[in-house]
Amino acid sequence: MSIVGSSIERARDVALVTGRGRFVADVDLPRQLHARVIRSPVARAALAGVGSEAALARRGVVAVVTAQDVPDVRIPIRLPVAATANAELALQPLLARDSVRYVGEPVAVVVAEDPWLAEDAAELVELDLDYGDEAAVVDPSDAAAAEAPLVDPALGSNVVDVFPTVFGDVEAAFVEADVVVRRRLRVGRHTAVPMETRGLVAEHDPETGRLTIWGAAKVKHFNRGVIANLLGLEPEAVRLVEVDVGGGFGVRGELYPEDVIVPFLALSLGRPVKWIEDRAEHLVATNHAREQIHEIAVAARADGTLLAFEDRAWCDQGAYVRTQGLLPSMLPGLHLPGPYVWQAFSVTTHAVLTNRTPVGTYRGPGMTEATFVRERMVDLVAGELSIDLIELRRRNLVPAERMPFTYDLGPGAPPIVYGSGDYPAFFERLLTEARIEDLKAEGVGVGVAATVELGGIGPFEEASVEALEDGTVVVRAGVASLGQGIETALAQIAADELGVPVERVVVHHHDTDDVESGFGSFASRSAVVAGNAVALAARELRERAAGTDFAALVAAGETRGRFEKEHPSFSFGAAVSAVAVDEETGRVTALRHVVAHDVGRAVNPALVHGQLAGGAAQGIAGALFEELPYDEDGNPLALSLADYAMPTLSEVPPIETIALESEVLDNPLGIKGAGEGGITSAPAAVANAVADALGQAGRAVDRLPLTPARVRAMLRESDEEGR
Amino acid sequence: MKLPPFAYARARSVDEALELLGEAGGDAKLVAGGQSLVPVLAYRLFRPARLVDVDSVSGLDGIVERNGEHEVGALVRHARLERAELGGAHRLLALAARHIGHAPIRTRGTLGGSLGHADPAAELPVAALALDARVVARSARGEREIAMDDFLLGPFSTALEPDEMIVALRVPAAPARSFAGFREFALRSGDFALASVGVVVAFDEDGAVSRARVVVGGVEPVPRSLDALPLGARLDPDTIAEVAHVAAASCAPADDRTVDAATRRDLVAALVRGALTDVGAQAA
Repeated sequence: MSIVGSSIERARDVALVTGRGRFVADVDLPRQLHARVIRSPVARAALAGVGSEAALARRGVVAVVTAQDVPDVRIPIRLPVAATANAELALQPLLARDSVRYVGEPVAVVVAEDPWLAEDAAELVELDLDYGDEAAVVDPSDAAAAEAPLVDPALGSNVVDVFPTVFGDVEAAFVEADVVVRRRLRVGRHTAVPMETRGLVAEHDPETGRLTIWGAAKVKHFNRGVIANLLGLEPEAVRLVEVDVGGGFGVRGELYPEDVIVPFLALSLGRPVKWIEDRAEHLVATNHAREQIHEIAVAARADGTLLAFEDRAWCDQGAYVRTQGLLPSMLPGLHLPGPYVWQAFSVTTHAVLTNRTPVGTYRGPGMTEATFVRERMVDLVAGELSIDLIELRRRNLVPAERMPFTYDLGPGAPPIVYGSGDYPAFFERLLTEARIEDLKAEGVGVGVAATVELGGIGPFEEASVEALEDGTVVVRAGVASLGQGIETALAQIAADELGVPVERVVVHHHDTDDVESGFGSFASRSAVVAGNAVALAARELRERAAGTDFAALVAAGETRGRFEKEHPSFSFGAAVSAVAVDEETGRVTALRHVVAHDVGRAVNPALVHGQLAGGAAQGIAGALFEELPYDEDGNPLALSLADYAMPTLSEVPPIETIALESEVLDNPLGIKGAGEGGITSAPAAVANAVADALGQAGRAVDRLPLTPARVRAMLRESDEEGR
Repeated sequence: MKLPPFAYARARSVDEALELLGEAGGDAKLVAGGQSLVPVLAYRLFRPARLVDVDSVSGLDGIVERNGEHEVGALVRHARLERAELGGAHRLLALAARHIGHAPIRTRGTLGGSLGHADPAAELPVAALALDARVVARSARGEREIAMDDFLLGPFSTALEPDEMIVALRVPAAPARSFAGFREFALRSGDFALASVGVVVAFDEDGAVSRARVVVGGVEPVPRSLDALPLGARLDPDTIAEVAHVAAASCAPADDRTVDAATRRDLVAALVRGALTDVGAQAA
């Protein structure tokens, strides 16, 4: 019987729920020192100097380092496709050199014998800041204006990149239109807040010359290469080790200044150095995400046929371009068309610097924002034409007979290719399982959103499989476990290919010494790319084995598999969300959320459910609760989890998930990613549900999150108009 | 988020606590449940030289009734208050306590701590003010009563002297036929209130309002009693709607990043309406 397709428990579940997990804060080394990062208290100022004498004089303080003490290097962009000459000029140094650009920017580091002493001494470090006359840049669309103050005067503009995406003749399509709906839509700045904050322990062994770093996540091998390069070491001299990770969601595991500073300190001080980010730091230091402003016009025929759209967007980068900061600006172009047939579209996104915490990829980057923009517009077009909004979607979904469906984006740009899936049938299945007609009859606000999501990106993963005499099978793969259960999914795949019980399969992915290469876990890719590499290695082992018994597998030695994936996969997804709005207080209560997502084939349905439900919960959070506001001087206003309103179990409704399956031809296992399918459609569906609940006033829903104050403001405005 | 350095002393009795407090000459802070103080210390927003831990002081955890007056000890935990069998208007304390934080917070947090901390959004000061309660404060100089009206001076600021300690809250006997209602609005369950309303209404034999307190918390720098419900009125839906409107209009809420002033007024109106409707249902 196939173990792929069954909901076995995750390998780490028992350890994690019985308190036997080992997180980076649990890693302690003899003689270790503790680092405390001193961060800029202001959004913009010239930095004339750092006074460290008082701190150095404190008992237990070993060092205070500033920009002058660390290599003058920049944190590089991870995906070369996003790198441009302009963006390369906006990369972040390890410590602020002669100016500070956001509240939370690392300026100096105190190293002491224990973390309490380090934090006490950090208060004694004096920053010599000159605020000057220039205002902080806090709004991405204002930042793009010609007269705006500049985050970095040397760049000459706050716009560090412009990404155009064009298909067809937009002008001609607008001429044909019976109706054109225009809107300015905005998604609020918020981010992933994993339960575990970031952290690192670094140790340098002078005997072997090797530097070992615990606390890695997501992209170990890439980070190893960069850390080695920035510190002037050979890649082989650097070892990154992943211990248990309490959530990643895109932000954890990317390379941050601390990821280079802490190993540098271990090297230069000759003692292990530990740094654990606290929650207050996390909210200003770890990548922020999502803030985008879109000005969009959608053209349609009176019969509900969608014709074309034109979108101009300003996508916040924060004060520096981080490893993946540009991706949320690039991806709306590929995601705004969604699951519909368009004659033409044009998207121009601007990546814009502001004096705020730098931005990175948060689960569903760019695609979640784009889905909100498009699906809000689809509802508004339906309203304008007095066509039922579900019916309007039905009329425009890409029909199954047109698969694979291609949007040719012209020379030099890879086309968008929807490989497989019966979108209309998927959509009907969601509506049926969500019992949408019953929901509507209940008088609650009901919202619908559909999307197509990019995932399963390459370029490749390698894996090895080896049967040992002790009866275990060791699988090695270069992906990362962020709590999603990838090691369980890979074990299931290997067990099936080899015909051995899954309990016997051990997956190694934690250590760059143990696993040669790997691109890591992001973009809903681990199961797809590494899973197929494991399957190929295991097949090879099975074929090479002289017999069917375990001894024959052992005798066959180690086999390797490499799976290359040139193009990403696109998955259909959709959600139905139901909310109640208390018009007196503006409170939105999420009542029910049903999400469907095409995973090709579910390797482990329980894990797929966990991914989709967790993602949907985060999407609901971004739609109704979470925001990282700043005042006009660039001071962050959400400094603790009392201000940053992550919803709890009391606020998140039951989430039902539907793993849609389709024939997938671009990989032997026939799978698509699941990591981001839950979140992409959620804010759009929730926003549309709120709009539905508000009736006439709901046409004004154009901004997330929909807090009580914003809902009340819409209702007050609508009351005034009604008078 | 590591606590700043401080000296720590644990008191076993009120006298010992007062002695330790007096020794520090104004630079000491009492701690009991620690649910408000410890986060403030972790953010280093406040750095007392000494913490005097009164958590295990005996004799301050009683709820005693004398001729209709309740004396509630300063160390009574919110979880206990929430379940206390308080009749009539005094039930307001239990209704308010239910809204404080989450269960683990209510298990440790104390009445004295909540009153002394004087967070503008805290629930128990609203209830105490609506009940015309008096804070019992003790020092080496003796014991005194401070009316809630005089006790709350501003955000996180009270009439308590540096050498004084809250030992109890005295809640005067309420008239017969008096009832209480408490409503609050928070973004998430367990959050600080963006607005809260505690009401106490007494009715005469004809069912007309003979005494009324409508107290709003979390809206202005300190909880305030609004003169919104006229004596002699009947608590019908029209009156309640009018009172809610008057109450909202008479508030002076600050704009803050979570809720603008206009929305805070909307919240006050909704909460007053809800709390008075609750009272009306009990009176009927």
